[in-house]
Amino acid sequence: MVHASNGGVLAQWAWLIVVAPFVAMLAIIAFGKRMPRKGGEIAVTAMGFVFVYSAVLLILNIANGVIFEHSVQVAQIGSFTIEWGWVVDGLSTMMYFVVGTLSFLVFTYATGYMKGDVRETWFFAAFSLFAGAMLVLVSAPNLVQLIVGWEGVGLASYLLIGHYWEEKENSSAGMKAFYTNKIADIGLIIGAIVLGTAVGSFRYSDILDAAANNLSSLAPVAVAGGVLLFIGAMGKSAQFPFHVWLPDAMAGPTPVSSLMHAATMVTAGVYLVARMYPLYAGMASDMRVLIVIIGAITLLIAGLLAIVQDDLKRVLAYSTVSQLGYMIAALGAGGYTAGLFHLWTHAFFKGLLFLTAGSIIHAVHSNNMSDMGGLRKKMPVTFWSFTSASLALVAIIPFAGFFSKDEILATLGNNGYAWAMWIGILGAFITAFYMGRAMFLTFFGTYKGEAHVHESPKVMTVPMAILAVASLIAGWVNIPGVYEGFHHWVTERAITFPSFSAEGFDVAVMLTGLGFAIFGVIVSYLIYFRDADTQQARDRVRIPVLWPLLENKYYLDDLYLAVLVNPIKGPIARAVNWTNSYLIDGIVNGAGIVARYAARIVYGGLDQKGIDLAINTAAIVTGSAGEQARRLQTGKVQHYAAMTVAGLALLVIAIVIFI
Amino acid sequence: MIDYLALAPEIVIAATAVVVLLADMWIVRKYWTAIIAVVGTTAAAIPLVVLAVSPVGERSLFEGSYVVDPFALVMKGVFLMAAYVVLLMSFSYVESDRYYQGEYYFLLLLSILGSLVLASARDLIGLFIGIELVATPMYVLAGFRKGDLKSNEAALKYYLLGVLASAMLLYGSSFVFGLTGELTFAGIASHAGGLVHEPAFIMAVLFIIAGVGFKVSAVPFHFWAPDTYEGAPTPITAYLSVSSKAAGFVALIAVTYRAFGPASAAWAPVVWVMAALSMTIANLTALKQDNIVRMLAYSSISHAGFMLVPFVVAPYVDAAGINGAVSATITYLVIYAFLNLGAFALVIAGSRKAGSGTVQGWAGMATYAPGLAFLGMLFFFGLAGIPPLAGWFAKFVMFRVVLTAGSGWAVGLAVIAAVNSVIALYYYARVIKSMWMDPVSVTVPDSEVRDAAVPMTLTLALGITAVAVVVLGVFPGIVTSFTF
Amino acid sequence: MLDNGWGLSLIVFLPLVGALIILLTPKKNLAAIKAFGLTFTALPLIIAVFLIARFDYGAGSAFQFGTDLSWITSINARYHIGVDGISFPMLILSTILTLLALIYSFNHWPEPYNPKAFSALILVLGTAMNGTFVALDLVLFFVFFELVLLPMYFMIGIWGDKTMMKVPGFRIEAETRLYAAIKFFVFTLFGSAFMLLGFLALYYRSGDVAPFVRTFDIPTLISMGSAGAFTGTFAFLVFGALFLGFAVKVPMWPLHTWLPDAHTAAPTVGSVLLAGILLKLGSYGFIRISLPILPQEAQRWAPAIAILAVIGIIYGALACLAQSDMKRLIAFSSVGHMGFVMLGISTLTVVGINAAVIGMVAHGLITGLLFFVAGSMSHRYHTREMVRLGGNQKLMPKMGAILGFTAIASLGLPGLAGFWGEFMSLVGSYNPLAGLDLGVFRTAMVFGAIGTVLTAGYMLWMLQRVNLGEPSAEWGGHALVDADSYELAAWVPLMVLIVAVGVFPKLVFGATNSAVVSLVTKAFGG
Repeated sequence: MVHASNGGVLAQWAWLIVVAPFVAMLAIIAFGKRMPRKGGEIAVTAMGFVFVYSAVLLILNIANGVIFEHSVQVAQIGSFTIEWGWVVDGLSTMMYFVVGTLSFLVFTYATGYMKGDVRETWFFAAFSLFAGAMLVLVSAPNLVQLIVGWEGVGLASYLLIGHYWEEKENSSAGMKAFYTNKIADIGLIIGAIVLGTAVGSFRYSDILDAAANNLSSLAPVAVAGGVLLFIGAMGKSAQFPFHVWLPDAMAGPTPVSSLMHAATMVTAGVYLVARMYPLYAGMASDMRVLIVIIGAITLLIAGLLAIVQDDLKRVLAYSTVSQLGYMIAALGAGGYTAGLFHLWTHAFFKGLLFLTAGSIIHAVHSNNMSDMGGLRKKMPVTFWSFTSASLALVAIIPFAGFFSKDEILATLGNNGYAWAMWIGILGAFITAFYMGRAMFLTFFGTYKGEAHVHESPKVMTVPMAILAVASLIAGWVNIPGVYEGFHHWVTERAITFPSFSAEGFDVAVMLTGLGFAIFGVIVSYLIYFRDADTQQARDRVRIPVLWPLLENKYYLDDLYLAVLVNPIKGPIARAVNWTNSYLIDGIVNGAGIVARYAARIVYGGLDQKGIDLAINTAAIVTGSAGEQARRLQTGKVQHYAAMTVAGLALLVIAIVIFI
Repeated sequence: MIDYLALAPEIVIAATAVVVLLADMWIVRKYWTAIIAVVGTTAAAIPLVVLAVSPVGERSLFEGSYVVDPFALVMKGVFLMAAYVVLLMSFSYVESDRYYQGEYYFLLLLSILGSLVLASARDLIGLFIGIELVATPMYVLAGFRKGDLKSNEAALKYYLLGVLASAMLLYGSSFVFGLTGELTFAGIASHAGGLVHEPAFIMAVLFIIAGVGFKVSAVPFHFWAPDTYEGAPTPITAYLSVSSKAAGFVALIAVTYRAFGPASAAWAPVVWVMAALSMTIANLTALKQDNIVRMLAYSSISHAGFMLVPFVVAPYVDAAGINGAVSATITYLVIYAFLNLGAFALVIAGSRKAGSGTVQGWAGMATYAPGLAFLGMLFFFGLAGIPPLAGWFAKFVMFRVVLTAGSGWAVGLAVIAAVNSVIALYYYARVIKSMWMDPVSVTVPDSEVRDAAVPMTLTLALGITAVAVVVLGVFPGIVTSFTF
Repeated sequence: MLDNGWGLSLIVFLPLVGALIILLTPKKNLAAIKAFGLTFTALPLIIAVFLIARFDYGAGSAFQFGTDLSWITSINARYHIGVDGISFPMLILSTILTLLALIYSFNHWPEPYNPKAFSALILVLGTAMNGTFVALDLVLFFVFFELVLLPMYFMIGIWGDKTMMKVPGFRIEAETRLYAAIKFFVFTLFGSAFMLLGFLALYYRSGDVAPFVRTFDIPTLISMGSAGAFTGTFAFLVFGALFLGFAVKVPMWPLHTWLPDAHTAAPTVGSVLLAGILLKLGSYGFIRISLPILPQEAQRWAPAIAILAVIGIIYGALACLAQSDMKRLIAFSSVGHMGFVMLGISTLTVVGINAAVIGMVAHGLITGLLFFVAGSMSHRYHTREMVRLGGNQKLMPKMGAILGFTAIASLGLPGLAGFWGEFMSLVGSYNPLAGLDLGVFRTAMVFGAIGTVLTAGYMLWMLQRVNLGEPSAEWGGHALVDADSYELAAWVPLMVLIVAVGVFPKLVFGATNSAVVSLVTKAFGG
């Protein structure tokens, strides 16, 4: 916007919040082992700094809008410049704050949760690496730096998912996450190349200006570039069909699931689409429907999957996928604010849900809800936090989720994606149902585990409590008609936006959504709560067709394994190797062996033994010499002489040929 | 009047030969004959240097049938150098086997005299005398190890086939005289141009080239070489593979360029075929050899092929191009001389230590004679033409010339040569591999034989050649400053 | 005083002097051998660093610190040396790796233990490699290019892997080292024989162009070539001959088969220098000689090169997935990475060729380090079979971490050195030189991008098999010492450089860009 300030010295020094985590990482690697808390304290301090700085920036933005961008050139290749830089505008300050807050709280929580872990120091180093990479991603003013951060968080996620790499399945889960993202990144990288080449610069500002001014060189590739970038986003934000990696990623320690695989990292895709929003709203608008479709499919199928999980973390994981579907769909439908708003609220309550799950697992020593139940009394703080977060997720007024999800539904409805809106509403019902199920199976009924249950220590409960409050109030920053602050924060962008306004309340939609949500809770209540003792038994009731389908995650994993991974790892790779050693190399060795055979023939046959023909000629030509020679214990000489004559004949032929 | 300075080198060598013969009658300690021979050869170099620095460019004697020009001087230098190294090699070898030392050196000096004469010969008679004077003593020396049947066989084969060659040479020469009525090359050249399509003339050319082909041991006139090389005393083999071959090339250069220059269209194809066959067949054959001397025999045949390559450009280039071709062949000869002499000196030293002359017999030499193994690396990879050892430049100038022609035939030959240089690497590397990378052979004699010091003279020969191989490889300009 | 050719000459020949001195020092005096070796590999690096400060980056396209003395007058071959923005980074890389290789050897003398000969060979190799990068005369280039063969042949043949191997497809059994050594030698010589023919052909044609003096001088030939002196079938064949010479060295598919054997057989230091520098001689030859001297032909050959390069990328990656031998896997990965370098070159664009150069540097650092670590591990475990390894991270945390870091760098993680080469060469092939077939190059880009996924595939899989999981029982008794001080001394500098180049690519691009720009504008007119 025009009236925005340049943020002054605060924005100029904002690069500090990107660098701080990396400094922390190096410090932890260097001294972590020798410190009382094994380096955790270093990480928390750094995150504290990030939190405070980002909060200040957010306030600055709220006060009078900030738009600042600075780049340092690190290479000049022909017409291309590679730059490191940082952007401080509405969108990035919002992300800084989310990352800063969640990181600070989760890191603090982790110092308790990871206490006495086999690789505590290593954990905090990698975790700091993630925070740093995430901030590199968010602060990027150009696509190249985005890719750097993008793959950086991917690496961190690989390392942390496989944190307990003694078990093969954990490291395999990490690899699965990395590969799935890497495949999607083909789209991101090629997309960046396509757009960058068309515009002649990798800077968002240049690309988006070009998009705004309908640059002729960009026009033919705009849609293609948009699709390609979106493919990248689908990978990171676990959209169908790339969503398969996220549930497996739950193999990582719970703080990781909370911060990376719920609150921040997985929203990178959403962030990218929002960052490039003017492109999608403008030149590439033809492919927006694709975004909506993908989002809708994802939110539905993931929600269904969440119903059948016994592993609490997997329930939440699929729920995350489903909620990301909402955000993507919203952005596709033109709900710039709506999508980001849900990102914002979701970060708080989903982060919290995982923290509570962690606290439970910490106590019960099991991920499975069939080992839980009746924890309400034993773990009050955890219980109330979980409740607050669940209400937010289920979107019960006045909890955070309600406002954001309602805005999404309204956007879908008003922008002509009614079908998507109905899927969203159905999704709301499903969400409510599986969260209700999780809630009742975990906290109500009777405890079925063996471990002695106790509430988690302060260092874990305090962050939970804080987030519980946040889950309540985070939605109040964008109440249509009352206070639309959030909308103004995130629209503080250097580029001129295509005109659009925050969606007002649509009472019908709101009530339907709310109704379906409550209905879902009621259904789950009827099934899982009315008779606390048999709730587990009833959870094992299987619906014939649907169940196997969901149990096996629509057989997607098996499909990928059967069609992609195994063939390449197995037959194809082996075939190539075979070709190498037997075909290509065979030719080489063959040549050598042919040479040897030739040698044997030339030497044994021609050179030494002589040829009958030659011998006969010998008799004629070198008669007397031959006679003498034979008396002298070797018959070879005459052969030689004969060969000589034969040679002469050969030379005569040569002359005939040449002249 | 006769310019005796021009003849001085020949006179010195001849005198030395006579002195050796006489001394052999009176002296008891026979190795003095060797010393006299060495001194004589060295002395012969003095007038050569004088001639080289003298302002008079070209000295022509006997109505231009005997000429001392830069070409002759360079070749004489090569011959004397080779002779010097061969004498050094012979010293311990001959003494250890109790030969008739006087006769040995006498004959060797005669052959050297022949090569000096050949370098200056400018008519068919001088050419024939030179060639015979080089060859005849060799017929005897090849069989000098009387006790050894192989040696006798070597001598006989060399003799019979050598005679056949001489016959062809003489026969061809008579034709040429008949057709042109000239004996001097210049005179023949003046008629040659008109005779290109005269069958009789072509026959003559063919016979002469065939005759000379024996001396350079080019395929298909090479059959005597392997057996003779294997049977003859190693220093004599070295002499045959270097001086005698060089003499052959001097003769070939004389007849082709000087006598039949205008008729190059007639003989270039012949040489093309000889070159291609020599390189290919000899290399393929060498792959199968286990006896190192025999392998070197075939390698020397293939090198003859490489040296023949420049001749084929003759029909396509001008006078400057011809000079370039001649220079290339001579440059090749000089570098090859050092490499091959070194290789044979190494064979003498190595076979003595390893108690065997086969590739397998030399296995693991690096462990008990690292010095020799190192020299082996120099000489064999040098022969293979791996920079920075001298051999690369020889091949380099050869390629350089053959590409001047810009004719498809020439380029084709260049490609054949390129492929052959790769094949050649394989059998040279086999020896290196055996010396450096294989475990010590069981046939190696006990330590006092194995650790016996290499004789001083042989060491000197090895040293001279080794230094030359490295220095000429890094600064090939030294050679070309003489040969170009 | 070091500017006028002395500096470069010292960088080139000091190692050779060191080698001679070492040959003269007695076998027993190990300390002296080490001292000499260190001195004569460190001095060139010090001089190089000094020259870095003096290098005029603004004029990166000009040849600097050069001299031009007569050498072989009769054929007008001259001792003409100098460095521009393209060769300078390579020269520095080679001085660094030579030094580190020697330091590493100090407590890793391979069997049969013979420090004297071994360090002498490293030094000779150093001279050969440095010389190739500074040579500005075709004959001089050829001599150094070939001089590389001898030391590497002996390194592989004498200190190589002694296990017997079956020669694939035939009933022959041979010791790996012997088979690999001669294969390496013959392959390269085959290529360079034709390369020499190509050089001479250029030499002759140069006589037909003003000033009508036949010359081997590279800058002169470049100016002739960019003026369109060499065209037609002649040039086509010459480019083919040079292609044979360089493509074998790179190696490009399908001329690559010597590489896995050579790498697997060579002693650790041998593999490091082979992967780190020797392969670059080929791609450097393309950039320094083929492209600028025969620009028209380069454009005719470019699509073919691009296709071969991409086949190499995919093929190498797939072959890696089939390997059970750790070192062999890394060797095949070189085929893929050099594929990216060649893809960059084939685009004939500023971006692509810059990508190629930084790709070469990065591959030198990363793969060199990978071979170091792999060598040290097989030194500890006495096996390279990945099925028997595993849990290395537990047994040797430091080494495991370094291996992990290097593998991650090798799969081209953005922010580390490996990324720029891959990314920029993809950028280049999306938008190759005007006139080249867009279809071919954009398909190449897509497959290249797929290649990056496969690369991640086998690298992480290797990590999982080698580093992660529980160590197998057979190592229970063994006391496995973690990375020692010599190893760290050799490795940490490489790690630092990998990060530095990754975060601040200007370290390389700063020198190369202006040189590449002028190359492309001269040869291809923009």
